[in-house]
Amino acid sequence: MRYFKIIFIIYVLFPLSLQAETAEELGLRIAKASYDNGRGFTDMTSDQLMILIDPQGKEVTREISGKTLENLDPNDGDKSITYFKTPKDVQGTVMLSHTHINDDDDQWLYLPALGRVKRISSSNKSGAFMGSEVAFEDFSGTDYRKYSWKYLGEETKNDESFYILESFPLYENSGYSKRISLTDSLNRTRQVDFFDRKGELLKTLYLEDYVLYKDEIWMANTMRVENVQNKNKTIFKWVNRELDIGINKKDFDKSSLMRLVD
Amino acid sequence: MFSYIFISPLYILLLYLLLFQTASAFDYRAYGYIQPENTFFLNGDGKHNQPKNNLSVYTQGTFISYIQDDNAKITVNGIGRYDENDKERTYYDFQKLKYEYYYDDFIFKIGNELVFWGVNESFSIVDIINQSNLAEDISGTKKLGQPMASISYNKDYGIFDIYVMPYFRERPFSGKKGRPRLTFEVDKNSITYESSSKKNKIDFALRYSTVLDDFDIGISHFYGNNRTPKLSPNLATLKFDSHYSILSQTGLDIQATKGPWLYKLETISAKDGSERHLSTAGGIEYTYYGIRNTPSDLGVIVEYAFDDRNDNPFNNEGIIGLRWSVNDIKSSSLLAGYLFDMRGNSNRFQVEFEQRVTDDLKLFLDLSLNGSIDDADFTYQFKEDSSVTLKLAKYF
Repeated sequence: MRYFKIIFIIYVLFPLSLQAETAEELGLRIAKASYDNGRGFTDMTSDQLMILIDPQGKEVTREISGKTLENLDPNDGDKSITYFKTPKDVQGTVMLSHTHINDDDDQWLYLPALGRVKRISSSNKSGAFMGSEVAFEDFSGTDYRKYSWKYLGEETKNDESFYILESFPLYENSGYSKRISLTDSLNRTRQVDFFDRKGELLKTLYLEDYVLYKDEIWMANTMRVENVQNKNKTIFKWVNRELDIGINKKDFDKSSLMRLVD
Repeated sequence: MFSYIFISPLYILLLYLLLFQTASAFDYRAYGYIQPENTFFLNGDGKHNQPKNNLSVYTQGTFISYIQDDNAKITVNGIGRYDENDKERTYYDFQKLKYEYYYDDFIFKIGNELVFWGVNESFSIVDIINQSNLAEDISGTKKLGQPMASISYNKDYGIFDIYVMPYFRERPFSGKKGRPRLTFEVDKNSITYESSSKKNKIDFALRYSTVLDDFDIGISHFYGNNRTPKLSPNLATLKFDSHYSILSQTGLDIQATKGPWLYKLETISAKDGSERHLSTAGGIEYTYYGIRNTPSDLGVIVEYAFDDRNDNPFNNEGIIGLRWSVNDIKSSSLLAGYLFDMRGNSNRFQVEFEQRVTDDLKLFLDLSLNGSIDDADFTYQFKEDSSVTLKLAKYF
């Protein structure tokens, strides 16, 4: 009994103790806690604003809206529908994605001018989303299952302490060689440095405006990306985010796409 | 040309719904664009005294309203063009003018609709529902709205679609001053049909489509007036007479998506009038992502079409294409295609470039160059019609 008490003290009172875990195990545990922080939403709708800023400070804004269906399958990813609203020439275009953790996603695009649904190749997870500094793979960047992890230590910034984690992509077509992220004491990922395939620092992502939904789900409503190589910036904002509203699962099938488009 | 709008009671219902049903909770979206275009022909004035420069304006507007507690939707998509020289290219049409009702796994639809079947980039041989507007563009990719009533049954194992099409749309061709145009004009007063009901023949179509992992598969059958008329020169009028036979066509389309590789196949077996023929087209598309460490992608497309009728212009044709997407803020992209006929030595080269200028202004530059063309080839009549077209679309 006393023995159990000691274990209890180690695990509960010193949860970040290194005594029982390797740096890899600890890194994975923090990453999983951070991921689980944003799960349990069932489904979600939101409008999104994307502000693209060039090195001279010139801004353009893009508007999209979307629906997401949480996938509870531990071996598979979420499903999403994206409606493109601006720039106006892409209005009416709709994208359906069935994401997979460490494999290519399934993606279909509805092209309104032709009345045509096209299955598109999605091995471009590293590709830029609508000319921004955000890659497709960044949208699910907090999914711990996509990386191998290592705990590097702690850092204090502006009187706040962060765990420093290093992660290496498991997806073979990832655009990154590694990432270094900072996770706060509430297990929220706050900053991620991305290194390109050559190992050079490419960009830094700041996750901001965290909002607590349903008393247990943390979601960042602003993603700010600063590319250090081309000096472009992208600010991605979620507005009107609503969770658990009971969207029909079938809406996310290809067979339902035709009822969701113009 | 638009008498069909008034003959069908469906449109009266549609009008009723538009005027009264939407009034309670009027929630709608509307958008469109207007696009002035100028085409410059590189070989000077045309064979039929068409000028070497042609100005026209194209416009499109879309209106969508969800009604009846989001269980139904009304869509209006109107297009139109004014062409300074070609009367046949000055037109308007409702590609979509439809009412849809959603019930459980069903979608019920009436009105004009645009339906695309198939997977190929270049040779769309399975696609049959909508009439091609060849006055717009000789490639046939611009379509006319097809009046129909349809039911779609959606299950996770696939979609079943049934189409009943009560009114046939005749194919528009370029007029006397159109360019490119056929050697003779197509005589709109000399059209015959195999069907005694002519354009009032009720056409039917069925389709089943499904997704099996990396495969998107469609099986379809169409029975009705052939969308492509047989043209025969009338030596008295010096115009083409056209004849629409009855077509019974079974089609299969498959796309396999394997990482950056797309494999595509379309095939049809069709009984056209009294003759049966087989047509197959397919190809491969490969995309290189992030070329030279930039966000831009380069796709390579190779497609080939075979038809067992010797008189079909696409009976042994190929295309090699390149698609360059810059993935920049301006969404710049370039599509270049080299088309060749493998029987003779006819070939054509096409380039389409597009780039956004401001958030609501987009520029298009199309280049169409005819290379060597056999005088026996169908496209020989367009040999002197190489052109450059500049388009500027203003979105609203």
